[in-house]
Amino acid sequence: MDSMTVVGTSLAVRGGAAKARGEARFAADVQLPGMAVARLLTSPHAHAEIVSIDTRRAEAMPGVFAVITRADVPTVDAADLSTRTHAFLARRFAVFAGQPVAAVAARDIATAEEALRAVEVVYRVLPAVLGIEAALRPDAAAVSRESAKPAADAAEANVASRIEIRGGDTDVAFAQADVVLEGSYRVPMFHQGYLEPHAVVAHWDRPDHVDVWACVQSPFGARGLIVDALGIPSHSVTLHTTEIGGAFGGKDTGLFSPLAVLLAKKACRPVRLALTRQDDMTGANPSPQVEARIRLAATRDGQLAAIEGVVRVNVGAHRGSAAPDVCFMILHKYRFPAYRLEAIDVATNTVSFGAYRAPQALQAAFVIESMLDDLARKLEMDPLELRERNLIREGEASVTGRTIPRHGGLAVLRAMRDHAIWQDTPSREDDATGMLRGRGAALGLWGSGAFPASAIARLEQGGFVRFVIGQVDLTGSYTSLAQIAAETLGVPADRVLMTKGDTDTAPYASVSGGSSTIYSMGAAVRDAAADLREKILEKAATELGAQRDDVSFDNGEVYVRAHPERRCTLARLYDLETDLFAATGAPHVARGSVGSMSLRESAPCFAGALAEVTVDPKTGQVRVCRLVAVQDVGKAINPRLVEGQMQGAVAQATGAALWEGIEYDAEGHIANPDFLDYRMPTSADVPSIETVFLEEPGGDGPYGAKGVGEPPVIAPAAAIANAVADAIGRRITELPITPERVWLACNGESAGT
Amino acid sequence: MGTAIRLTVNTKRAELEVEPHVTLLEVLRDELGLTGTKEGCGSGECGACTVLLDGDPVCSCLVLAVEAANREVVTIEGLAVGGELHPVQRAFAENGGFQCGFCAPGMILAAVALLRRSPHPTEAEIRAALVGNLCRCTGYDKAVRAVQIAAEEVARG
Repeated sequence: MDSMTVVGTSLAVRGGAAKARGEARFAADVQLPGMAVARLLTSPHAHAEIVSIDTRRAEAMPGVFAVITRADVPTVDAADLSTRTHAFLARRFAVFAGQPVAAVAARDIATAEEALRAVEVVYRVLPAVLGIEAALRPDAAAVSRESAKPAADAAEANVASRIEIRGGDTDVAFAQADVVLEGSYRVPMFHQGYLEPHAVVAHWDRPDHVDVWACVQSPFGARGLIVDALGIPSHSVTLHTTEIGGAFGGKDTGLFSPLAVLLAKKACRPVRLALTRQDDMTGANPSPQVEARIRLAATRDGQLAAIEGVVRVNVGAHRGSAAPDVCFMILHKYRFPAYRLEAIDVATNTVSFGAYRAPQALQAAFVIESMLDDLARKLEMDPLELRERNLIREGEASVTGRTIPRHGGLAVLRAMRDHAIWQDTPSREDDATGMLRGRGAALGLWGSGAFPASAIARLEQGGFVRFVIGQVDLTGSYTSLAQIAAETLGVPADRVLMTKGDTDTAPYASVSGGSSTIYSMGAAVRDAAADLREKILEKAATELGAQRDDVSFDNGEVYVRAHPERRCTLARLYDLETDLFAATGAPHVARGSVGSMSLRESAPCFAGALAEVTVDPKTGQVRVCRLVAVQDVGKAINPRLVEGQMQGAVAQATGAALWEGIEYDAEGHIANPDFLDYRMPTSADVPSIETVFLEEPGGDGPYGAKGVGEPPVIAPAAAIANAVADAIGRRITELPITPERVWLACNGESAGT
Repeated sequence: MGTAIRLTVNTKRAELEVEPHVTLLEVLRDELGLTGTKEGCGSGECGACTVLLDGDPVCSCLVLAVEAANREVVTIEGLAVGGELHPVQRAFAENGGFQCGFCAPGMILAAVALLRRSPHPTEAEIRAALVGNLCRCTGYDKAVRAVQIAAEEVARG
């Protein structure tokens, strides 16, 4: 692999010029003749029974083409109204403030908004279940569920699931431990913060067929959602993908497509539903709220002995489970001889959660990496040394019983230890200004998504090679996929064409997410390229009158090794393939397909972070001075794109650490449904983010690549929390680490409990 | 019952009849088909709808169309001259200055305005100039570098 010429180079991103010119087409940019625009009427109540909805006044307004409510939703067998898929419009109950109750399609936004005000909804307000603690009280009201399945235990009506994850004897381990630590941690919901609100355009071009353009990470998943929600056959829906203005897990299958599809049907014209920022902030799918109460036992020399505790996750008003994931990710990096964690998913009258970049891993890392730092301080040990001592190694059994494969965890820890931030002991107090300075480290672990994926490839006129895939081009993934194709085929990258298929024309692909695109789709593209290369060599050998084994392929041409002047170009092969009278055989459709997680190894991806902060003890203000991301990427297919993923993830995690968090008021309304109050990092908030990537072998990825997109978001929030603890000598146990919490901690009050 | 207005958009004159509540953003996207200007929040918090109004970067979602009467608007579509990318556009596209590209039109125009008033900005000045343009993908590092690269290219001429 030393001779690689395309993989490992920082080619400029495909489609970059179109984006820079404003020509790239996002879902809301799709313009169709006669198109109406839509707005949503959402529930103002966190919990209410909808007594009646009167749309007559709205429907009579000039310029209003359609109003839809629960009455317009087709009856679907097997519809489960406890899922977001089926509860895209509220039926009997509204179960969170912001849930769509009606939708309007009109000639313009002003008319649509006026029509919303004319829809008369009578609610019978029910007691809202708000907050994990309140939901679990024995006398708590129950979140209304419209599924057939009643709660297993009426006394725990809001417990969506409860499981225990255990191994070893924790009682003995705690009894014999030299050191025991405990802590309670809280992490709020975070919005993914994509700049483009959810958008979808739907157009019924025939009575039994609808074209849909949606900003989704999974075209096939998005089609599946429409098919399931509306009970129509899959051939009635063609899902066209567009550019996506950021997703980070929040646009997996798209939540709002069924609304646009129904509106377009009723309005008899194309409809564009582009959410307002407020509707997106209140009604999409943020990450879940997490609380953990954990005890940790260790020996004097820094061996972890046991961990126990309870993790409670607010999953919102619809079905979902996240608490077990948090528990597994508290456990998965380190060796725990004994563990017992209870995972409780709690239903409340808040918006249900979705995926957000390495779902639940940031929260789990905040818990365990905070605790390891406190343990290191207690044992007067270097925190990275403590992590190294307890890092789970290749060949050991994981919590899930799987044998840990080869990984780069140790290399990441050592690169962090060798970094200047760790080597230069920071002064705890800066005399000149009275600022407190601290440094922190944390480690994260994620898997490379081994998801089902397939690609097809074929020769094109002029000697180009076209790959058709059913995945979107998320932040440069097509560029990296083309590099893999070019490297495998042995052609320059500019001979590779990437075509984004729709759900009618592309072979199946799973979601662009889960750090799977390069690991899984990259492997499918590699296999399709290898298949095509083999066929090219075979056909060219026939054309050149040589044996298959006597020809080689170089720079887009096949030649006979013994007679290099005997050559055949790809352009010629295309002409032969498509010639009615040529003997070189049928046009070849090359294929590559890879299977699921159960069939393929998911390479572990370790990613660490180092942070240096200053804290103003007078104001509680935290300033991040330096941030370093250290990651084992396996093989960087395009180093600039890898670096961009790492830097972006670190900035997102910095927001989670210091500023972000969805806040609910006492009535269950989101108090900060806009970018002014939901404070994401700006260019002035984050320093230049340094990246260190390691290329450790392991896994099944193309050219050794591992998942890249999610791992770097896991550790930085914990690293910043550890740096703040280092600076002020107190531990903040709740995100975000606001000036108020820091000030209270600095001034002797306990914060975050 | 619209108001007749005239304005210049990307050097072309436009005559429109607009309702008084309609924003410049809506006119650009829905009337003139210039969808390069994006709507991220509709309330001036994200900067995705940034255009140049008489040379100054403004959030077009906060400008009423009638306020733009008799003024000159430059959108992202008007930046490349004769098919040639503006140096800021090229620097962003070639150096990872954006990823998803949704913030790109606004951020590029904010950077163009900065370089017009301050051809050799420091990093702090660049970061201050882009503070109203949220980006969720890049962590800003490569956007800042792109502005620096563009500044050098403009200086070279």
